[in-house]
Amino acid sequence: MSSSAIFVLDLKGKVLICRNYKGDVDMAEIDHFFPLLMQHEEDGLLCPVLSRGNVHFMWIKHSNLYLVSTTNKNSNASLVYSFLYKLVEVFTEYFKELEEESIQDNFVVVYELLDELMDFGFPQTTDSKILQEYITQEGAKLEVGKSKVPTTVTNAVSWRSEGIKYKKNEVFIDVIESINVLVNANGSVMSSDIVGSIKLKTMLSGMPELRLGLNDRVLFALTGRDKGKTVVMEDVKFHQCVRLSRFDIDRTISFIPPDGESELMSYRINTHVKPLIWIESVIEKFSHSRVEIMVKAKGQFKKQSVANNVEVRVPVPSDADSPKFKTSTGNAKYVPEKNMVVWTIKSFPGGKEFLMRAHFGLPSVENNELEGKPPITVKFEIPYFTVSGIQVRYMKIIEKSGYQALPWVRYITQSGDYQLRSNV
Amino acid sequence: MPYLGSEDAVRELRRALSNPNVQSDQLRYRNTVLKAIRAMSQGVDVSDLFSEMVKACATVDIVQKKLVYVFLCSYATLNPELSLLVINTLRKDCQDPNPMVRSLALRNMTNLRLPSLVEYVEQPLAAGLRDRAACVRRVAVLGWAKLHNLQPDAEIDAAVVNELYGLLRDPDPVVMVNCLRALEEILKKEGGVAINKPITHHLLNRLKESDVWGQCEVLRILQRYHPQSEDELFDILSLLDASLVSPHPPVMAATLGLFLGLCSGLPAVSLAALERVRGPLLAACGSTSRETRFTALCHIQLLLRSLPGLMGAHYKRFFCGYAEPAYIKQRKMQVLVELVNDENVAMLLDELKGYCTDVNPETAQAAISAIGRIGRSYSDRCLEILTGLLGLKQEHITSAVVQTMCDLVWVCPQCSDTVCSALEGCEEMLQDSQGRQALLWLLAAYGERVSSAPYTLEGFIDRVRSEASLGVKMELLTTTMRLFLCRPSETQDMLGRLLHYCIEEEMDMCVRDQALLYYRLLHCGIEETHKVLHGQRSDPSLGVLIGRPAEPINQWAYSFNTLEPLRQAGVETEPASRGSPEHVTFDPKPNTDLSDTLNCSQIEKLGTPISGQLLPFFFAEPLKFHQVGWGASVHSHFQISPEMFNRVQVRALAGPLKDIHRVVPKPLLCYLGCVLRFVVLLEDEPSPQSEVQSALEHVFIQDVSVHCCIHLSLNPD
Repeated sequence: MSSSAIFVLDLKGKVLICRNYKGDVDMAEIDHFFPLLMQHEEDGLLCPVLSRGNVHFMWIKHSNLYLVSTTNKNSNASLVYSFLYKLVEVFTEYFKELEEESIQDNFVVVYELLDELMDFGFPQTTDSKILQEYITQEGAKLEVGKSKVPTTVTNAVSWRSEGIKYKKNEVFIDVIESINVLVNANGSVMSSDIVGSIKLKTMLSGMPELRLGLNDRVLFALTGRDKGKTVVMEDVKFHQCVRLSRFDIDRTISFIPPDGESELMSYRINTHVKPLIWIESVIEKFSHSRVEIMVKAKGQFKKQSVANNVEVRVPVPSDADSPKFKTSTGNAKYVPEKNMVVWTIKSFPGGKEFLMRAHFGLPSVENNELEGKPPITVKFEIPYFTVSGIQVRYMKIIEKSGYQALPWVRYITQSGDYQLRSNV
Repeated sequence: MPYLGSEDAVRELRRALSNPNVQSDQLRYRNTVLKAIRAMSQGVDVSDLFSEMVKACATVDIVQKKLVYVFLCSYATLNPELSLLVINTLRKDCQDPNPMVRSLALRNMTNLRLPSLVEYVEQPLAAGLRDRAACVRRVAVLGWAKLHNLQPDAEIDAAVVNELYGLLRDPDPVVMVNCLRALEEILKKEGGVAINKPITHHLLNRLKESDVWGQCEVLRILQRYHPQSEDELFDILSLLDASLVSPHPPVMAATLGLFLGLCSGLPAVSLAALERVRGPLLAACGSTSRETRFTALCHIQLLLRSLPGLMGAHYKRFFCGYAEPAYIKQRKMQVLVELVNDENVAMLLDELKGYCTDVNPETAQAAISAIGRIGRSYSDRCLEILTGLLGLKQEHITSAVVQTMCDLVWVCPQCSDTVCSALEGCEEMLQDSQGRQALLWLLAAYGERVSSAPYTLEGFIDRVRSEASLGVKMELLTTTMRLFLCRPSETQDMLGRLLHYCIEEEMDMCVRDQALLYYRLLHCGIEETHKVLHGQRSDPSLGVLIGRPAEPINQWAYSFNTLEPLRQAGVETEPASRGSPEHVTFDPKPNTDLSDTLNCSQIEKLGTPISGQLLPFFFAEPLKFHQVGWGASVHSHFQISPEMFNRVQVRALAGPLKDIHRVVPKPLLCYLGCVLRFVVLLEDEPSPQSEVQSALEHVFIQDVSVHCCIHLSLNPD
């Protein structure tokens, strides 16, 4: 990969901050980026690579910022995008929220970070845990002779410093699964998958060795056990702290965890799951007079579980007016700026069925503009439950000082990209 | 963007920076420097503060140092003399006990980008290579590459190169990878870092220590290695097997690239590798980052060229989500078209039909043209959908449908009956020029079967005065001529009116020339006219979508995992979304870029005219032949004899008018069967035909034979 320069632009295309790494592309080229972007957008040809002459702009957008990398080489595109996303990740960890204001307010740190993240167009230190050890926002406080070299820059365990101490040693494990579902207008499930992640919040002293046991089918097959429910995981991604060689040999997940919050692993399960919340909708549009909407939501999960904060978002025509609702539970609200009705149900027990009816007026003059057919989307959260059935069987914590530590596990299932196409 | 009062601000800052009271107070000093940098970030020209900033550099406060360095690196090239003063401070910092300070000084020393300072930088850089802190070595290694970049013609110091090779064994993985990067840069002329067996094995063994960036770099460079035996090759492959299914898309792609490179002689192994990456590739297509998704889709398209069946069972993964950006939707549709087969065609068409009413007109058009492509194999089902779409009475949909039908009949003449009956009454819905051109082309080809054809044409001719599109006028001329041949009694009168208007009143030279050409042609007699105008109506040989022979992998392997697939795609989608045979006036898209690989190979590929490759269309503005792109030979030729082309017009002419023009089969998605036509107007004495021809051949791809006629009498003046 080779990135000549990195720019951060605001929504109007003004450069907020930039760093010239290679000096082989004129920095003034960036002035052409925004007009080019606008022009492509107008022509409907927007694309993550824009080119002008032999200069290529690879860009991503994050909140109200554009992050742009310029190059004049036929460089590795996927790596450049990964780097831009890495920038977003690092900045977000520093400033909580990455947006125009946080760049303006912290531009000293941004300059420092840009200096460390990349040199001569090549990514260098990109781990935010390490960076946080020697580039701090408190750097603004004056402290002469500070800035010791972090041991981690040369340490074998680059993601964890030595000498961490906690009074009470605990580790919190969150198992979060998001469900992506696409259901066709005729009710057939077009695609569904589960994206899971295991997050850690580590509050452990010293250099602890952790071992995580899951009900992984491959592991159970390896050890010859075949009891209970097991899970087949695909596309398993680990935090760099996990010893991949061990995992490859005997599927043991062993690691020295980074301090504080981190994502230990993520996985995808590509099995057909029954959509947890099933929606049946009848939308009848009587031109020039009214739209009638009937939505039935059904919880297709265990009776003991409860889905929280369920939101069913039903699209309505943009020219609809005078809404009237009737719900068997929860509240329905018309959000005209998004052209949808949001039906909120605070708590939705498994196996139950609820109904919402909505009635809208339509103007007698018909809107000629073509409107898309946005799908019905659903948001929900089901605690104490994973749809794949994945379980943390044990978490062993061994530290040479021999302290006792407590692991806490929490499961949650939530909606990811959960869409049901409607027939109107 | 200097704002009002910036001069005052600079003066104020200078006063503050040189105030001894400020200088003695660390915090105030730093804050003043901060203000200067903030002004710089806002676009104020603060270069006048250079000498004050040089002084501010000598401080114990690291943050202030960093800020000053940012400033100095931005303005050093404007102040080479003053920059010399900084060097002393920087060299002193290189001796600092704190490795952070040392690496900072070293990095910025090389970032000043001043050739005059090279002699002062070399010694600290050499020392940096032997520093005990890894962070200093990392900087020093890349520093040598930067120096080389400053003076690319300077002699390469063999001792440094040797030392860099030695540092490949550095315990720090980043130093190791940086060495590779630096050597690549320094030894560019010799073809990059030398990869032999020990180095390869060393790099492979340490691959796991590196981060994602490092792994990708190593894998890319190893592509140049040629294993000495098959055993060694297979050892390497099995070592890399885990990386092939890496969850990090860049690592997976880099590994696959290496596999394809190493196994170029073993197609079976390459195919097995491709099968193996299917899972990770599909996962990348579902990535949360749209850019990653887009990149993955572009590369899948590349793979499908050799392995059409690779994704067959997973077609549902390419269904579009409602909120996905248009560029991803369009790319997914292109993939879907490739995946169609007997089992899934119903499902696929149903899905595509849903996209035809997308709010984004480009997406809708892309969906319609995708249906048209599938129509080459499943014409009945697709025509049913297409005619159904006409019933929606939406302008952009109707236009896209007509354009798509135009392409479809060109390859599937059996569809013509349905198309002809569908055409009735859609001219009212056609507003854009592409759609009207497509309609005219269809009327020209099948005029005798569309009963209302003369009435439609009459409407066009009545409005020709207010017609803005050059393409439509040209097309109208051709269509009226051809319709006249098959339905003379109904058309004679309007043809006369049209020719009269075009010759007497029309301001555009091209239209007028065309009209004159037809007028003279009619003088030659109806037989002659018939011979010239009665072109081919279809070319079914181009239509096969299923059962197309797979390309060998090495056709595209060189561009795998680079920027090129993303851009190529851009060129390809453009006509797809726009539509159909037409007078294409292609944007002069410069293509001399992407220095590394894009140019030459492209030209070679383009050279084979009928093989189903992409053909370029050139467009030049009158009086200025610019951006013919596609290779240096074109430019150089025009530099040699510019006088030959006083005016050049290049365009793809709609309709297969075979005789006077050169037919170019155009496998660009829906661009089948267009004719590329040049009109070269020669102002001075006409050059001999051969001379013009040889010039045209230079403009064109070398082995497409150019058919050229010089009409001396074209210009009546």
